[in-house]
Amino acid sequence: MELVEDIKAAKDVVHALLKARKTFRMYPETNPMYERIIEDAHAKFRSFFDYRDELTFKIKQNELFCGSEQVYHSPQKEDNIALFFFKDGLRELTFKKEFSHNELEEFLKILTVDFDKEVVDDDVVTLLWERDFHNIRYVVDESFLTDEEDYETSAVEEAKDKTAGEDDLSRAYADAFKEEGVKELSIVPLTDKDLHTLVKELEKDAYNKMDKLLLIIFEMLYQAESKGDYEDVVHFLNDAVEFSIRHGDLATVIGIMKMTREVIDDPSVSDEVKKYLGLVFSFLGSETEIKLLGEFLDSGVEIEDKVLTEYISFLDKNAIQPFITILGELKTIPARKNVINALIFLGKKDIQSLAKGLYDSRWYVVRNIIYILGKIGDKKAADYLVKTVSHSDVRVRKEVIKALGELGTAGVLQTLKECLDDPEAQIRTSTARALGSIHSAAAKSIILQRVADANFMKSDFNEKKEFYEVLSHWPDSDVIEFLMKSLKKKSFFRRAVNDENRACAAYCLGLMGSKDALPLLYKIRDSKNKFLREYAYTAIKRIEHDR
Amino acid sequence: MTGKGKEEVFAGAKDIINQLAVIIRTAAIHDPGNIAVTTAVDKFLALLNPLIASEGELTLELGGEFFYINETRIRYPLEYLPNFDFLVREFKKRGLGSIVFKDVIKAVDMQTFFKAFISSVFSQTPFETFSEDVGNISSLNIGKLRRVKDEAEVGEVDIRREVKKSYFNAVSYTKGVINKIKSGEKVGIKKAKRVVEGMVDLILEQEQLLVGMTAIKDYDEYTYHHSVNVSILSVALGQRLGLSKKVLTEIGLVALFHDIGKIEIPNEILNKPTSFTDDEWSIMKRHPFWGVRAILRQRGFDAMSMRSAIVAFEHHMNFDFSGYPRTRKRFELDFYSKIISLADQYDGMTSSRVYSRIPMSPDRALSLMMERAGKQLDPILFKFFINMIGVFPVGTLVMLDTKELGLVYQSEAMFLDRPKVLVIINGKGEKVDSYIVDLTEKAPGGNFLRTIVKTMDPNKYKINLAEYLL
Ligand SMILES: [Fe+2]
Ligand SMILES: [Fe+2]
Repeated sequence: MELVEDIKAAKDVVHALLKARKTFRMYPETNPMYERIIEDAHAKFRSFFDYRDELTFKIKQNELFCGSEQVYHSPQKEDNIALFFFKDGLRELTFKKEFSHNELEEFLKILTVDFDKEVVDDDVVTLLWERDFHNIRYVVDESFLTDEEDYETSAVEEAKDKTAGEDDLSRAYADAFKEEGVKELSIVPLTDKDLHTLVKELEKDAYNKMDKLLLIIFEMLYQAESKGDYEDVVHFLNDAVEFSIRHGDLATVIGIMKMTREVIDDPSVSDEVKKYLGLVFSFLGSETEIKLLGEFLDSGVEIEDKVLTEYISFLDKNAIQPFITILGELKTIPARKNVINALIFLGKKDIQSLAKGLYDSRWYVVRNIIYILGKIGDKKAADYLVKTVSHSDVRVRKEVIKALGELGTAGVLQTLKECLDDPEAQIRTSTARALGSIHSAAAKSIILQRVADANFMKSDFNEKKEFYEVLSHWPDSDVIEFLMKSLKKKSFFRRAVNDENRACAAYCLGLMGSKDALPLLYKIRDSKNKFLREYAYTAIKRIEHDR
Repeated sequence: MTGKGKEEVFAGAKDIINQLAVIIRTAAIHDPGNIAVTTAVDKFLALLNPLIASEGELTLELGGEFFYINETRIRYPLEYLPNFDFLVREFKKRGLGSIVFKDVIKAVDMQTFFKAFISSVFSQTPFETFSEDVGNISSLNIGKLRRVKDEAEVGEVDIRREVKKSYFNAVSYTKGVINKIKSGEKVGIKKAKRVVEGMVDLILEQEQLLVGMTAIKDYDEYTYHHSVNVSILSVALGQRLGLSKKVLTEIGLVALFHDIGKIEIPNEILNKPTSFTDDEWSIMKRHPFWGVRAILRQRGFDAMSMRSAIVAFEHHMNFDFSGYPRTRKRFELDFYSKIISLADQYDGMTSSRVYSRIPMSPDRALSLMMERAGKQLDPILFKFFINMIGVFPVGTLVMLDTKELGLVYQSEAMFLDRPKVLVIINGKGEKVDSYIVDLTEKAPGGNFLRTIVKTMDPNKYKINLAEYLL
């Protein structure tokens, strides 16, 4: 009877392993399911061990056997647990009664590795071997490791056949009596000091090997004998750069670039070598490498500004385009900020490449490029910016106008003036603000002209208010005169609109702190129009307070 | 019912052994009643007693260079190495092989034990004196040092066959992989790992047998054998340093490919029966560079390939940088490079195929290396190397004081100068069917039955080791 029972229990174990494997792939370690599934599977093992002390699975390609009974079968290529073991040469797997909960967890982790998807240098057997399970034993078929059948026999035969003629045993024997006696190898025993030296050396050895390898690669450069050798060196330096970026080790990348730069700057080095080494710099700015850098920046690891600045300083203008590309893909604000800073630095080397970003299909990228061009702020940058004011996206136009305002060069005024006719109110107000920040006489007259325009009167109150606010940047006599005039103006037609205008004038005078306006404002404070009254009142408060 | 597995139980074992060493060191300078000693003893018992309680009985045993607790070999981190090594020597001095803790131990008994332990070293017959002094402690027994488990008990023939199979398997794999690399094929590292893991296992269990396999040099395709031999010798040396299995695998892998740069050297040069010309030498000397190139081209950059490339570059530079390549910048040799270059030099010197065309007998090679220690070779690692390979390595032609002539067949971890010898000419000077003698065997009077009196070069007499040792 028991025979059937133990097979049933073995099947339950297999079943539990399969279930656990699924669960492990689905849930993180912190999920309560995770712990429960281990406990469940362990219970199945314990039930089996009620019958026997050891559980042995014989492994075939698509089947597991327990004794002569099949306990698992799957014809599938995927998710086939028998094949999972079989393909790496595992032929038998035995669990001992003492197989612990912890061991089971470790075992399940191995079972969960997806060798097709994950890049691992270990196979199942290596993983089992490294874990050194106390209560798992396995049998492996190693024959698949070698291509040649029975190398042993042929090698041994051939080695035995080697003897050229009879050996000379008798002569050896005779000579033995003539030779001097054994010279004792005076073995100096190991001292504590030896051991400590060794321990220290081993500790030191644990460090990253990249620096050493770089030293070697540069030796290869110095001792290169052919073009091919130079190509190799460049290739390896590139690989080292990529490896370091992948590991977020920007300091090492900087180190590589510094060393490379040093050689390039060495007058004794030939131009040809310099040309080769220049390729490393292009590589650093290539699309793949910038993309990797972007991923790293996006990972949220904190990076010192100093490090990044130095890193960027090694980049060439070929990095501009890739940076623009990733600018629209980055997920975190600090990463974007860093890329923007990089582009401000690099853009100066090649405005034209940077400006290509203005035609990017992603409005937010265009907006960023505008910001960058604005920061670069030279004449060429302004020329590109001016061309962007007609961008279809309001958000972009807004950014250009702001940038133009910050640039403030003479050439931008005409463009801004045109922007005052933009169909979007927010663009018009932005333009006004941009003109305000330019603060030149010419800018003033543009605003003043606009405010005095009869059509402007019809604008929305808030827009008008914004314009008057900008006007307050120039507390000049002509402006004050204009405002006083507006304030006094009475109208019987379109009275409401006129009152709005007067309110704006009062507002602006208040912002300027114009004392001369006080008598007039006192008068208006008693106006019948509540709206006007309030603006006058606020302006008075402001002016009196300033005083 | 998630009781502690064995692996957890034994995780603390290394601390027990370490603490034992601490006490003996402390007790050697202080009076046994001194607080330093008693505190150390208390700590020792706090570690030991729970284990005795759970295991019932605990046997601490010295086997070769390693400690076993209840037959499980105890591994330890390198910072414990000085203490472990110290303890091995202290055990050996007294001929002490094992301590059996039969029951939970009292502090007072332990103090008696240590007092006896310390004083026994001054006795003519230390083990006997010690044994007598601790005879009254009922909770523990001590046992005499015996040689490493005799293979006769566990089917020596089977083990030898397995070791041989493993060795040739490794060579065959190496041959395949080197040829693939040579033809530009990409090869993964999974299989290489498996092969080296197999060797690491064998070295942990049958160190001397696998090391013995490296003594035979008469293969046509020696380059592949050389790679495997260097790998075996490096791992064996590494295990003497107490390195972990994982690190040993890494060393073994790196060693396997140390000469990969030679794929660029034409076979006519490599397999040339005569000495190299100057031009040929300068080609030979490029192989460290080519090694770096081959490895980085194959694998790109990862932890393993970086290690590998470094060793490929450095393995001929020498401890004092007298070798090649010469470099512009100052170098510090990698630890792996030091280990592997030792193994490489030894295997190279004793073969006719690697650098020199005239092979050296193993014992000559060792004495030459002895002269080089501190110059071309790391002197500390060399001490470990000699301990591992024996004063008379396998393959040495020896004359015994019984006038028997033979070949060293298998080194003995415990007695470096007393290996097993395959006698081929008996005491009367007659060629005989070879038989094996064990030089650790003593006559009833206590004297050794046989001792090596002379060593000679088997090459000089065209003795084919393969014929005798395979
Ligand atoms: Fe070499
Ligand atoms: Fe070599």
